[in-house]
Amino acid sequence: MNKTKIHARSIIVMSILLLAMAFSPLVSSFPTGISGVKDSGCNCHGATTSESVIPTIEGLPEVYNYSETYELTVGFTGGPSTIGNINLGGFHLWASEGELASNDATVQRYNPSEVGHTEIGNDQTSWTLIWTAPASDKNIEFILHTNSVNGNAGGGAGSSGDEWNRLTAKVSAPIEVLEQANPYVVLSTLIVISAILLVITVTYIFYRTNPDSFNWKTFEPWICEWLTSTDHKKVGTLYFLAGLFFLGVGGIMALMIRIQLSVPGNDFLTQDQYNQFFTLHGTTMIFLAAMPLINGFANWMVPLQIGAPDLALPRINAMSFWLQPVGALLIFTGVFSGTGADTGWTGYAPYIVSETAHVGTTMWVAGQIMLVASSTLTGVNFLTTIAVMRAPGMGWMQMPLFTWSILVANLMLFLSIPAFGVGLVQVYLDRVIGTAFYDAGSGGDPLLWSHLFWYFGHPEVYVVIVPAFGVISEVIATSARRTVFGYRSMVYAMAGIGVVSFIVYGHHMFTSGMSPTLRFVTMLTTMLVAVPTGIKIFNWLKTMHRGSLVYRTHTLWALGFLVTFTLGGISGMFFPSMAMDLHFHESYFVVAHFHYVLVGGTVFGFFSAIYYWFPKMTGRMLDERLGVLHFLTAFISYNGVFWPMHRLGVWGMARRHHTYFISTEEAMGSLPAEAAGWNMFISVSAFLFFFSNFLLIANMIKSVIRGKKAPADPWGGWSFEWMTSSPPPTPSFGHFNHGEWIDLPTLKDSNEEHIGNDPSPLVKWFQSLMVLDDENEEVNN
Amino acid sequence: MNNFHTASLEVGTLVESLLFYELWNEYISWSLLIGIFTFGWLFHHSFWYTSKEGEDWENPDKIEVGVFPRHNDDMTLEVAWTILPFILIIYLTYISWAPLDAVWTSENGGNHGFECTEGQSSNNQMDMNTGIITSDCYHVLEITGKQWVWSFECNPNDDRWTGDIIPDRGFELSTNLCDIGTISIEGYGMQPLLSLKAGETYLAVMQSEDVTHAPWVQILGVKEDVQPSHKTTLWLPMIEASESMILCTEYCGDAHSLMSAGLSVHN
Repeated sequence: MNKTKIHARSIIVMSILLLAMAFSPLVSSFPTGISGVKDSGCNCHGATTSESVIPTIEGLPEVYNYSETYELTVGFTGGPSTIGNINLGGFHLWASEGELASNDATVQRYNPSEVGHTEIGNDQTSWTLIWTAPASDKNIEFILHTNSVNGNAGGGAGSSGDEWNRLTAKVSAPIEVLEQANPYVVLSTLIVISAILLVITVTYIFYRTNPDSFNWKTFEPWICEWLTSTDHKKVGTLYFLAGLFFLGVGGIMALMIRIQLSVPGNDFLTQDQYNQFFTLHGTTMIFLAAMPLINGFANWMVPLQIGAPDLALPRINAMSFWLQPVGALLIFTGVFSGTGADTGWTGYAPYIVSETAHVGTTMWVAGQIMLVASSTLTGVNFLTTIAVMRAPGMGWMQMPLFTWSILVANLMLFLSIPAFGVGLVQVYLDRVIGTAFYDAGSGGDPLLWSHLFWYFGHPEVYVVIVPAFGVISEVIATSARRTVFGYRSMVYAMAGIGVVSFIVYGHHMFTSGMSPTLRFVTMLTTMLVAVPTGIKIFNWLKTMHRGSLVYRTHTLWALGFLVTFTLGGISGMFFPSMAMDLHFHESYFVVAHFHYVLVGGTVFGFFSAIYYWFPKMTGRMLDERLGVLHFLTAFISYNGVFWPMHRLGVWGMARRHHTYFISTEEAMGSLPAEAAGWNMFISVSAFLFFFSNFLLIANMIKSVIRGKKAPADPWGGWSFEWMTSSPPPTPSFGHFNHGEWIDLPTLKDSNEEHIGNDPSPLVKWFQSLMVLDDENEEVNN
Repeated sequence: MNNFHTASLEVGTLVESLLFYELWNEYISWSLLIGIFTFGWLFHHSFWYTSKEGEDWENPDKIEVGVFPRHNDDMTLEVAWTILPFILIIYLTYISWAPLDAVWTSENGGNHGFECTEGQSSNNQMDMNTGIITSDCYHVLEITGKQWVWSFECNPNDDRWTGDIIPDRGFELSTNLCDIGTISIEGYGMQPLLSLKAGETYLAVMQSEDVTHAPWVQILGVKEDVQPSHKTTLWLPMIEASESMILCTEYCGDAHSLMSAGLSVHN
């Protein structure tokens, strides 16, 4: 068998395995196994249905009247039930809408949609009960199960010989209701369509590279190269594509959430579905969209900016990436069968270890553990690369600010993520082998999870915003044709944010009941975050002073970032003030704040990065007109989505609630009547924001196909990435010759005092810990 | 259920806490000031220092690819915008201090004194400048959270939670001071109702029977988690008559969004 065939078969087998992983929960993760209690609802006697039992339901109208009460008679004929038996039969009735109630002592109500017989009711073959129709238009389904009993239960033979059967009945609404789409089907269809589009795009790009050799023989090495590459640029592109794909998936889930919230009391999503959607929206956006987008640019640009041929540990780098799609599959496990994780991205204990949390939560935890491994390896890789592979002449204080931001972010991540990993392993053990780390009844402490999670979680939100600071520093300086103002204070401010991030996490737990002393201390430290972030904003503004600002799309996004990030920063200052936080906690004010920081900050920062570095990455210029249109539509609709949420939060709209009700003259709700209009406005804006981003996708595809060729330094930047060709060669800089890298670039410095080659004693000590003494190493090549 | 939010301070707002609005107004003023300063600066520089078509730009920082450009800094300015925000946050911390003490005041001789004796009234008073409420004494009640229902107890003395916060006080609160009933709320169905008296201050001692929950007493703008592992407390100083809702604001699973209760405060 030749190599091509082996590769083809491996890819097919892998695809089947991945599909099996994605869909296997459909048959295994119902809470009660494959048989499923929800279908039967009753304790049916016998394994299979019996045709001889004929269930009946009388009194149901074909079309119901609003809120009218109907007396129903359910029963059965046939089966082993004969008069004279000790027991005759039983039933269970489920109604999808309206309210069921018992009429007499032979029937009991389990909940508004389920009734069954009582012990006294065992001696009958028909029962009467009450059903109240809903006050609105619904298509209603009734499922009746009946047992025909031979009466030997008391005689020790249990239910042997008994038989059962099922009847389904439908009642229509006064005004015809269109069948509602199943949200899971909508979600999975959209994801599958996105994946197919991705495959078509990849195939088309391959086709464009050489239309004459569009066949499997040339495609196979091409795709295998992408799947197995350790080149930092290729891995960076993979990260970037994965990040964009999951940004879309997270966006689809956000749209479903917004459809649900567009009007009060909506039932597009059930509570159960909503809970899974916001859990996966948060997890996807933070871990599967923001982090990979950042890693994509870090992979691409850090080696280029420091003049290195590649990352220090290229194979570890490829492994870090490939852990992510596998982790993503685990995280999404169960969602299509309705048993995906439903814990919120914070996964608070003890809910996360309780039996009421979905079984998919276990897989969500397992997937997160893989992402922890991925991030830890990435941290090791970048810290090592930046510490030891800087080009000659480049001291710590001559590194481009984007590289500095990646250094600070990875240091934070590397120091904080082990706490999260430990917490996840504990939760995993609690869920699968019955340990009791978070079970209060057995002496476990649920607050421990909050501490471990937020010790990681708060630095994590800075991990995703600090790289955006790096991008903005590069873009503003280049666009204004100035050096960034206060390079050193920029570095110290980022390092300051890195340090402060570890001592503020308690502000997520102001209402948790943790020690008031700790809450007070974290209130003070949280206020401190404003100082380094303030320095950065003022420095960016001062950078533009006496500059010569060139308006490009990346400049617009950077200026847009300054607006939205400043607003997000200001709203963040409201939380440490305790008397306000007690109101804002878990409200839409929080939702508004963190979307201003994470979308208006991180996502806008990285949109700027796409427009800034895309020509370097692909060798093609992006279309500026489409870019400006993208900026204008996205910036306006984005503010339409998140700005009104501040007011909703103050009014009292709680986050993670699948619906809300407004106050009217007649009825009490938790929100004033205006809230309904604003929610609709937000939902419409959300659709506009989502679709405006397709302009970016269209722009990228158009540019790859027929964009103008990009020069080496299209914007006039100073750092090394602009020195090499667009796209850069592999290895990115220098040549490997006799065990040594030669022809690496050397950084010059236009400042008189060049401190690059004269590290301080502290730096020398730090380097001695990290750098192997090459001269004593035997070179194996 | 009419006139339940007529006492609101702001049209369309259900939150009645003056304490909240005093801080809110102060913070909004500073936010506006900072916003005007920052965005004014951004707006000015975005249009003033732009590149003109065909213009030869100066290169004061010697930007050249492969060369670290000349430093562009000014120590005085950088120190200024380190110190000034620092002073502002010290001020904001200072003004947040008394409200912090008010929402978390001690149950032993804090703003609300000690537990009331039989027949004693809290007689609470609000400082109209700060919104801080002080009382002669307070009444203790119990809130329990479990999936997905709130339950209230006006006379907690069961031995489930023996501890120092709920002593066996030897008398029962009158139904005028604290009463429990049910209320039908549209969309939420039949829910528990807690009836309290205006002018009285209550300390809710809370615990969960399963997972973490948090009652959001919307009209006061306060909440605190209810944990299965330990007791937590929440001050409920009732100033005037109102009808409002209590929601759950710590995610607790399936019916989290419908876990609610009514709060009725009468004169």
